Amino acid sequence: MCNDPDVAPEIPDNQLLVSRRDAMIASVAVVAASHFAASARAQTGPRQAALPVSVDQALIIRTSINGQTLEIRIDARTSLLDLLRERLALTGAKKGCDHGQCGACTVHIDGRRVASCLTLAGKVDGREVLTIEGLAGGDTLHPMQQAFIDHDALQCGYCTPGQIMAAVACVAEGNATSRERIREYMSGNICRCGAYVGIVAAIEDAAAKMGRG
Amino acid sequence: MRPFTYIRPATPQEAVGAFAEAGEGARFIAGGTTLYDLMKLTIERPAHLIDVTAVRGLDRIEMDGDRLRFGANAAMSAVAGDPTIGRDYPVLSEALWKAASQQLRNMATVGGNLLQRTRCMYFRNGGGGIYPCNKREPGSGCAAIGGLDRGQAVLGTSEACTAVSPGDWPVALVAMDASIEVLGPAGSRSLPVGDLYRLPGDTPHLEFTLGPGEMITAITVPKTPAGRLSTYHKIRDRESYAFALTSAAVALEMSGDRVEGARIALGGVATRPWRASEAEEVLIGHLLTPELALAAGQAAFRDARPGRHNSFKTELGARTITDALIIAAGRGRT
Amino acid sequence: MSTTAFPNRARVDALAKVRGEAKFAADLVLPRTLYAMTVPATIAKGSLSSLPVEAALRVPGVVRVLTPEDFPAPPPYSEDGPPPPPTLETIIAYRGQPVALVIAETLEAAIEGAEVIRPTYVAEAFACVMESAGAQRQPADEVAFGDAPAALSGAAATVESTYDSPTQHHNPLELIATVAVWEDGALLIHESTQASSLVKGAVAGALRLDPARVHVRGATMGGSFGQKAVQRQTALVARAAILTGRPVKLVQPRAQIFHTATYRARTRHQIRIGADADGKIVGVQHHVEQEQSPNGYFAVSEYHRDVIRMYGIRNYLGTGADIRLDRQDSGYMRGTHPQPAFFAFESAIDELAHKTNRDPVEFRLANDTRVDPQNGHPLSSRFLNECLREGARRFGWSRRSPVPGSMTASDGSLVGWGMACGIYQSATTPAIATLRIDARGHTRFAISGHEMGQGMRTAIASVLIQDLDIDPERLEIALGDTRAAPQHMTAGSWGTNSVVPAAMQAAQRMRAAVADLLDGRQVSGNLHRKLASIRRPFLQVEVTTVGPGQDQAALETLRQGGFAVAEAVYPEFSTFSYSAHFLEVRIEPRTRRIRVPRVVSIADCGRVISPRTAHSQVYGGVIWGLSHALREATEIDPRYGGYLNEDLADYVVPVNADIGEIEIGLIDQPDPLANPAGVKGLGQVSMVGISAAVANAVFHATGRRIRELPIRIEHLL
Repeated sequence: MCNDPDVAPEIPDNQLLVSRRDAMIASVAVVAASHFAASARAQTGPRQAALPVSVDQALIIRTSINGQTLEIRIDARTSLLDLLRERLALTGAKKGCDHGQCGACTVHIDGRRVASCLTLAGKVDGREVLTIEGLAGGDTLHPMQQAFIDHDALQCGYCTPGQIMAAVACVAEGNATSRERIREYMSGNICRCGAYVGIVAAIEDAAAKMGRG
Repeated sequence: MRPFTYIRPATPQEAVGAFAEAGEGARFIAGGTTLYDLMKLTIERPAHLIDVTAVRGLDRIEMDGDRLRFGANAAMSAVAGDPTIGRDYPVLSEALWKAASQQLRNMATVGGNLLQRTRCMYFRNGGGGIYPCNKREPGSGCAAIGGLDRGQAVLGTSEACTAVSPGDWPVALVAMDASIEVLGPAGSRSLPVGDLYRLPGDTPHLEFTLGPGEMITAITVPKTPAGRLSTYHKIRDRESYAFALTSAAVALEMSGDRVEGARIALGGVATRPWRASEAEEVLIGHLLTPELALAAGQAAFRDARPGRHNSFKTELGARTITDALIIAAGRGRT
Repeated sequence: MSTTAFPNRARVDALAKVRGEAKFAADLVLPRTLYAMTVPATIAKGSLSSLPVEAALRVPGVVRVLTPEDFPAPPPYSEDGPPPPPTLETIIAYRGQPVALVIAETLEAAIEGAEVIRPTYVAEAFACVMESAGAQRQPADEVAFGDAPAALSGAAATVESTYDSPTQHHNPLELIATVAVWEDGALLIHESTQASSLVKGAVAGALRLDPARVHVRGATMGGSFGQKAVQRQTALVARAAILTGRPVKLVQPRAQIFHTATYRARTRHQIRIGADADGKIVGVQHHVEQEQSPNGYFAVSEYHRDVIRMYGIRNYLGTGADIRLDRQDSGYMRGTHPQPAFFAFESAIDELAHKTNRDPVEFRLANDTRVDPQNGHPLSSRFLNECLREGARRFGWSRRSPVPGSMTASDGSLVGWGMACGIYQSATTPAIATLRIDARGHTRFAISGHEMGQGMRTAIASVLIQDLDIDPERLEIALGDTRAAPQHMTAGSWGTNSVVPAAMQAAQRMRAAVADLLDGRQVSGNLHRKLASIRRPFLQVEVTTVGPGQDQAALETLRQGGFAVAEAVYPEFSTFSYSAHFLEVRIEPRTRRIRVPRVVSIADCGRVISPRTAHSQVYGGVIWGLSHALREATEIDPRYGGYLNEDLADYVVPVNADIGEIEIGLIDQPDPLANPAGVKGLGQVSMVGISAAVANAVFHATGRRIRELPIRIEHLL
């Protein structure tokens, strides 16, 4: 099944590889680009516009995103969510409220789930970020992703990346030990379509397969 | 949002120094779940952010000696999930895990949470001068008074402001007689958590008693057996991920069914974390019955001044205290 | 009509969605994109007196500010349809109306630029709620048959009550987003919309462009629920793309969406209903008033359409009025007219059943009808009583103690068991579809339709995979794209029943075409292999379908990008979907928190094409109903206009912890007349009636009848 085949223009791999010198000019560098490039390629390259802020209102952060090291110059105002989506074309995390009220932007920082919309991008300097794009091992889905398919734990799919990232953390935290606990600890992720029944079932299922919870 | 500078000092002293050096428009930021949110709403407009979350050694949870000590940078989720706190001080644990969502609790710190600002909708959504708000624009008036005030405070209000102090954690800390340690340009000091908060009076834009450049470094809670018989009971418009309509932090010392000591603080109903000593006095020395618990709850709201749509909070608040007392006392029987 | 049940297949786009690869409009990241941010008006009515843009232009990164001067005058009035939404204007009709659009190199700069623009206004007096001085009351057309007042005067028992349902906002989780690209004199718009062709027409009309050079690609939608039809922002973003020559992206902040998108109008229903001594409904009087914008078209008379057909009602008098206010247009929100109407009507039925000492299920079973009460035509299929019996059985309704307040739980909670029914018309639109199968293994099906999460793609795939021997992994279903097929708006539960018959017909025609080609030759393999064997690169068929009573004119309207719905009161029969809901509430004895630990909901939606996504739709409908009953309301301060609780913290929708056990049943009996697939609508009927079931359960738990939504703690203290 394939849909939306022509949303993203195909661009060559090498467009993603920016040298250190270019990085100073273009504000972004992708180091060791193998997996990161592969996941980003399907969309487009990092955006390379010059930043319209003064030197002291910008900063260079070095971070790891989905296992790949990245050094990038950012406007200090930028949220982690906008960095991922608009600069790095990692659009799996979604903007549903931009105020920490819906959970659609959930990603992991150093293994813990956070709302990327309320996280200043500057805060991930020196830390590891995991997004939905980095969850599966290549073509092998994470058990939580498979469980979401099996239990139809989604409809429109907009909240789904955030739900899955939250759910994986929920199991890892040990908060998936009962339906009641799953419901409480998944309440930071609003699903407006109303797929909660499937979401709870998927997490119970995946928790058993993940060996936790 | 206007541009700002952003630094992450590594020690408390560096942080305080950086604040002084930055000058006008400097603000400390911790998890950012309040400050960054309010910057997006143009309520907060800092020119310089000093991020204290990289300050080393400020995230420890210590339980030696006669007090609990939480480093200001400890994540809300870390304290909430601590098994000893959960067993011996459920009021603290519950006040944390019933707040926000796990994502936000992973970001927000127990120190930063004390400085959360009100959720009054007129305050938050009044960008561009739509609603008069004495917090947002001192002297402009208060749209909530005489307006849609279902969520507003009934205790500690003034003619200038009825905005609720939204936190849960500060309520539990006030009940437990906690203190904070503060570091600033003039050195360190400590103060009771309750003294951190101002009543709105005619200056509702002044909410906290911290001086310029002062940062919270730790929270301390005196150990007490009352911690075991405690709860944080929170009633909201949905089952989770919502601010309190009414809440009660309760801790009891019991001799059989007789109340020897009681600590009660309220959230969702007051302009600051609200210690309900009137309710405590009703209980001391008496057998705890549902009737007495309700009488204590009602005593807490004796001076309530409801508005047009929030009078239910006095009744609901009293009943919330009642249920909290019954839950807390019940923990002695299991 | 389809005679066999369809298998339970996985949602076809689930894989892309769980990997974060499904592309929503805002996910498009094009080189050289500029970011836009709107400046909303801060007054409720009046006009702009100045719009200084210098401060914004001084913000580093801001490249341009669009103001009313950057737009052509509105197109002249046309009889053909509603005018496109206005662009930027100096007249302010409602608070939050966009007055300027800031374009910048980065999102952060666009936001800052929009913040520093401080227009000045000449404010005028305004009316923004039904009680406001100056609100204009405009009576609506009557809907009547029989003689309801006479019948009610002779009734053995009557009840008369007023029911209030609040203003609500859809709040799909996806923010409204538009990306516009202007290239070689053509405009390509990527937008989350359930009406691509209407968007195309509106943008072409507003900007005076040749419609042939405007294309709209309705991306995968992050929910809509009626919100995302024609948006005011689209032409603004398109104009910015034209003026700058670069792609422009606008993701509208949620607080602004509250003020610019449509919403569910607040309504007040007065219902008088009576029964005879046998418990038969003898007549209904139903007066409804709703809030309405100055020129809004959301018709009051439609509140009656579905109510009339719920039971065997012989006498009906439906009246109503619009209350004209200085607000943006209201519109269709999931459950549309029946949603508030059935909170009222099914509450009134419960009140009447209680008053006549009848079990509410038995009361409804006894008031069944086989014909459309308004015109006497047959109902093409109606399995309402089957829904009622199956729901009652699964819920254990027979164990209910009928006296209010008579059931309590071990923890002291009051227990209430309530039920109610729902109904929704099963309308149809014309469809034009192209099916192409090639020898290299690829299949493409293009049709008018929009995937909002309801599962339209999965339903189409279900049919094509069942009827054709093709490679399901390489089946592409093109939806929402004006370049692929003329796009009718997808809404009102007419989606699946309009596209599935076309998919079936296309498959049938394809099989015939292949048989013609093979001409009796035995060729092995699937259709791709067969085509390869006979050296045909591809085979393509096109089909058109129309709704009952429609003709070529409807297809022409579709081709022109218009609105061509065959309403379900068809010329020779009427087709409605039905539901019956049973649920339990538990109310805490002191603090009066209301919880709904379990729900059983049974629906008659004709043949079920995609069981899995159909079940999910009903889960969603139930949760929407619970939310309508217990959570959602938009708050308006009449002194200021606009919407006060403009975010997801204060506009309370259910979270996971709010939802208990939900059991779904689908009758799955094909409708014999409505369409060859036997399909009826499902998206709305799954929600209609739930809120009444909650109110009825609260009455059963407490003896208190709440006639105002949402039901909150303070109602029960």
